[in-house]
Amino acid sequence: MMALRSRHVVAFDASGVSGAALGRGLGAPRVRALAHAPLAPGALWPSPFEPNLGRPEEVAEAARAVARALQLRDTPVCLVLPDGVARLLDLDVPGGTSPVSFARYRLAAGLPYPVDEAVVDVLPLGGSRVLAAALRRAVLEGYEAAAAAAGLAQERVDLSPLGALAALGAAAPSGEPVVDLVLGDAAVSMAARRGGAVTVVRNRRRDRSAGEWRRLRAEADRTAVLGGEAAATRIRMVGTGTLALVRDMQAAGAAAEAGWRVQGEGVPAEGAELAWLGAALA
Amino acid sequence: MTRERDFSSRPRARRFSRPQSALLVAGLVALAAAAWAAGDRWGEHRAAAVRLARTRAQTEELRSRIQGLRAGTGPDDAVAAQALLTAEAAPPRVLARLAGLMPGDVRLEAASLDYGEHVELELRVAARTPASFDLFVDHLQRSPSFAQVLPGEEDRRGGMTATVRARWAGAP
Repeated sequence: MMALRSRHVVAFDASGVSGAALGRGLGAPRVRALAHAPLAPGALWPSPFEPNLGRPEEVAEAARAVARALQLRDTPVCLVLPDGVARLLDLDVPGGTSPVSFARYRLAAGLPYPVDEAVVDVLPLGGSRVLAAALRRAVLEGYEAAAAAAGLAQERVDLSPLGALAALGAAAPSGEPVVDLVLGDAAVSMAARRGGAVTVVRNRRRDRSAGEWRRLRAEADRTAVLGGEAAATRIRMVGTGTLALVRDMQAAGAAAEAGWRVQGEGVPAEGAELAWLGAALA
Repeated sequence: MTRERDFSSRPRARRFSRPQSALLVAGLVALAAAAWAAGDRWGEHRAAAVRLARTRAQTEELRSRIQGLRAGTGPDDAVAAQALLTAEAAPPRVLARLAGLMPGDVRLEAASLDYGEHVELELRVAARTPASFDLFVDHLQRSPSFAQVLPGEEDRRGGMTATVRARWAGAP
């Protein structure tokens, strides 16, 4: 977890632009301020191929409102992009190879656009494994332009599922297997872990119609099976809709729980519904 | 300190906080001291460089010998294994097995079969509803003929298309 450092994040998703300022400290991170500006349907829709900002001015205005509420001025911020904008692939990197170069090489074959148009980075998963993500430059630049128009000083760009999986990994149980679900407005990322190490990562679009908990539980089981387990015996969730989904799964007898608890005044549901906070927690 | 992920389209200049600036200054002082000490070690370095060059030449020689030994046996074995695999997992056979697992409202739009050490499949399927796609994935996972089933990207705008990767595990 972070130490002696303050962090500021501004996150984009279909439902709105959110932001947080996390305080310095040697203990658990603490949210000092939180802001959210909702977006009307259609202003932003996460997609890995097409520009995501249907109405860029509206998104920039929401980001401006968040910046004002957090008093960001020229403070460097990490922009967090939503689940569903990148192509994800977990890889075993050969020794003596640059993870990012290897990821670019492996992702190139599966991208429906030239690899030169992709920005690639990785999340270490333990050992020689990484979760690689390719983000189309045209998609990325839409978000960067909205942030610039809102007056944000961009420090770096992260992806919500990668940040959340990193933060969940830091608090992963060392013994028992667990499946982590990171819920974005439009997509969900799933990771099976054993002994703290990730064994498989998957990513799917979300279907938020009635009975979603049942479908997500089946997806969690599927992820666990792919990771070498018989079923998902423990499920941790963060992101949009977490509390209701945890409640529904628990009522059906599943071992489901919120993935993290964050301290701070005015933090709803201890931050469990804010998957994007992971980018500042990890 | 681990490197932070950054998907920025262009690298941006980083600003340093006071503690970070202090660390930077301390680092520069340490670097200067190390450079001064390094001057004294120049002679030793040259001798070590000569030894290193000699060791590298020996390593290269060994590596080329190993490659030569490998080249003598590898390709024939690989070709034989691939021929066996191609016969056992002929495309019509794999596709027929797939067709048997598809619900009525799911159809195969494209399939690629990659014959290597294993037969890796990349399928593009269209389904009338997400539920029927899930059912197909379920059938695929339960089938003993396929392993490592991994649903990939999905597009749910009007109907549903998705990619699925899997590995041929052989006919039961």
